[in-house]
This record gives sequence, structure tokens and C-alpha cells, in this order.
Amino acid sequence: MSDEELMAQVRSGVGEMLGVLFERYHVPLFNFYLKLTGDRMTSEDLVQEVFFRILKYRHSYRVDTPFRAWMYQIARNARLDHLRKRRPETSWEPEMSPAIEPVDTAQQSQEAVLLRSALLQISEEKREVLVLSRFQDLKYEEIAQLLGCEVNTVKTRVHRALQELRQVLHQLERKPPSRKGPHGAWPSPGSVQ
Amino acid sequence: MNCEAIGELLPDYLQGRLNPELASEVEKHLAGCMDCGEEAALWKKLAVLPEEQPSPAMQSRFEAMLESYQEGRWEKSSLAAEKEKARTPMLWGLGNWKQLPVSGVVWACVFLVCGFLIGRQTDRGGSSDINEKFAALQAELAATRQTVALSMLQQQSASQRLEGVSWSRRLQQPDPQVLNALFHTLRFDSSVDVRLAALDALSRYSGQPEVRRELINALEGKQSPLVQIALIDLLVDMHDRSAVDQLKQFQKDPKVNPTVRKRVDWGIQQLN
Repeated sequence: MSDEELMAQVRSGVGEMLGVLFERYHVPLFNFYLKLTGDRMTSEDLVQEVFFRILKYRHSYRVDTPFRAWMYQIARNARLDHLRKRRPETSWEPEMSPAIEPVDTAQQSQEAVLLRSALLQISEEKREVLVLSRFQDLKYEEIAQLLGCEVNTVKTRVHRALQELRQVLHQLERKPPSRKGPHGAWPSPGSVQ
Repeated sequence: MNCEAIGELLPDYLQGRLNPELASEVEKHLAGCMDCGEEAALWKKLAVLPEEQPSPAMQSRFEAMLESYQEGRWEKSSLAAEKEKARTPMLWGLGNWKQLPVSGVVWACVFLVCGFLIGRQTDRGGSSDINEKFAALQAELAATRQTVALSMLQQQSASQRLEGVSWSRRLQQPDPQVLNALFHTLRFDSSVDVRLAALDALSRYSGQPEVRRELINALEGKQSPLVQIALIDLLVDMHDRSAVDQLKQFQKDPKVNPTVRKRVDWGIQQLN
């Protein structure tokens, strides 16, 4: 069954179908947020919030329109609301939180560690576009619609994001980071932003 | 083509959306230009970032949410449930506290207090049963506070759950349902802030043997180090020597954070 058919069912009150959509999208959404925030707990909270909003605002879904675009719109709004509400003093929290699934640093290539911290250091705006186009498989047109801007703006932003990422990576390669995030997984956003 | 022109084409090239002619032009440039070549390589390199898996708790949180949604809907449509609901007045129907809309309860509480105050002003020299009424109102107020606390602890947003915890503090004598909800919050809430607040609220009732026992049991490896340290301090403050066994067992957990481990050592020393 397609996402749109499933969502049409959810809209008409068949809540169980949301379970199928959750199966399909909770990992991609979690990775989307993790790449944006670098924080596992926040990412999990945000994914939960997205599915909560899908249920709450199910009537605003227009049948036969692409579900993924609608879902990412919700995901983006949830993140913006979260940023608005975030208190600055909580940014140190991830450092002290337990790594729920400890990641073995030995198994992770140095390259991945570098890329991760570099990704978190480029500007929020560029990072979002890069993550959406590179990891969430969204087309530039879809991203433009999501952000409410021109397709060319999205393309320029992708290009700039790569340029900035490259610069940050060069800097990081010259000076290896002295501090890593919890268990060498994602560095906490507070430490790099 | 110069770098600027390539820059315009690059995003489409990277998503494989250029026609073969333009694509080969871009490739030619990439092979000769180090800067542009590196950018294109970087796009491919991002593939080394593995797909991360969320914790299993996420699945259960989602299921709990879906379940509560379905329960709510089912109740509205089912006649039997309607009858059941009608038999128990709203205020005392604590069994249904999950379904109570928070704002409604909060307003009910506000009106109740206003009504009580106005009543007291206008009815000063009233009849002798005023004390009785006063007691009934007090009981009702306590029940309302309890309902508010319970329903707020179930909210999606951490700040509302925090408020739920603070509502629970206004209760003189929290009943087991509230205590259970607080313990559930202490163990499973997704926010460390809310868990710490729940611990603080529970510490007020550490005089009760059941609360004491549950608090000792709550010290486990899965908790955040912050909560673990707060819990160890509380156990020491309780001067309960039966906590030593749990502390020793907890110390054996290899995953315990080194700072927390030191605190456990200190705690055991204090209690012995």
C-alpha cells in the first residue's frame, strides 16, 4: 500500500495504519534530526512529536497529495518549534545523557567522525538543505516547496553547503578535535555550534 | 566551462539529473579542477555516515501514543463506554484521567477556587454547616489537583510534564496513583529535567516505606548519570542502610559512568 493510501486511512480514523508509516519513516526521520541536531535524545523526541502531529492534524492532510512532503513539512515545523522553545542552558545535557546504544568508536572510521562534526559546524540553513537532498532523497523541487523558496535558491544552497563543509573539513583535518561527543558518537550541539 | 558555471550545474549532476552531454562536460571539469572535484567527491563521501538506529524505547513510546489515541476514539464511539462514563462523575472518575483534557481540568480548578473564595466572602455569617461544606470543597480541590497532576504527567511536551510534577507537590497526601505516575516518570520520561523534578517531588514522601523501597530500586544502570547522582544523594539523605546492597550491586554494572561510580563509593561509606 502506498504512503498516500495509508495516510488516507489514518485520516479517516484507522489509526493502526499509522503504525505502518511509523515503520517506514521513523528511522529516516531519526537520522534526519540526528544529522541536524547531533543529539539522540532530542531526535527521538522530535520523531515522536512528528507522529503525534500527524495524528493530531490528520484532517489537514489532503488526500492524493504526496505524503512525504507533508510529513517533512511537519517534521520541519516540529524542529522550528523545538528551537524556539529550547532554553540555552540545556544544551550541555547530551554530554551527560547515557548513550542508549553505545557506539564502538573503533568500528567507526575516522572519516565518519570527522564528517559528522564538520556537518554540525556548517550553518544551520545549509546543513538542512544538504541533509534533505543528500540523505532524505528529496528532490530540489520538493525541498524548494518545503522551504518556500525558488528551486535555484536550493541548488545554490547545496553548492554553498558543500563548499563550507569542505572548508570545515580542511580545518578539522589540520587540527584534530580534542573533545568528542558521548562515546564518540554525535558531538553535542553545544560544543560545536 | 568555468567553476561558476559548473557550480550551477553541480547540484543537478550530483543527483544524477543532467543529460549525458552536460554530465560529461561537468565530469571533464571535475577531473581538471581540484576545488570542484573535491566538492563532488565530498557529496559521495557523505555515504560513509551510517544510518543510525534509534533506541527501542522509541517504538514503545509510539505504541503508547497510538494506543491512547485509539482508546480515546473508541470511547467516544462506544455506547457502553458512554454509559460507563455517565455512571462515574467526571471529577471523581480518576480511572479515566488519561482522557481528561488538561485545559478543562485547569479551568475547572480555577473556577472551583474562585467560587470558593466568592462564597466565603458573601456567606461569612452563614449557617453552621459551613465547616462541612468547607471540608467537602477542600476534598474536591485535592481531587482536582490530583487529576491535573496525573493528566499533565501524560502530556507530550516536557514543560507540561514538568508542570504536572509541580502540581503533584501541592497534594498533602498523594494517593498511590500519583506516586505510581511519578515513579513511572522518574524511570521512563524522555527528559532528564522532568525525571529530576519527579525525583525531587518523590523525595518529599521518602518517609513512607513503600516510596523508600521504590526509590532504592530506581537506581539502575539505564538512568542518566545526573539522575543517578541525585538518587544516590537522596539515598544517603534517607540514612537507610538497606540501600547499601542496591548501591553495591549498581556499582558492579560496567556501564556506570566513572563520576557516578565515585559517588556510589562515597554513598556506601556514608551509609556504613
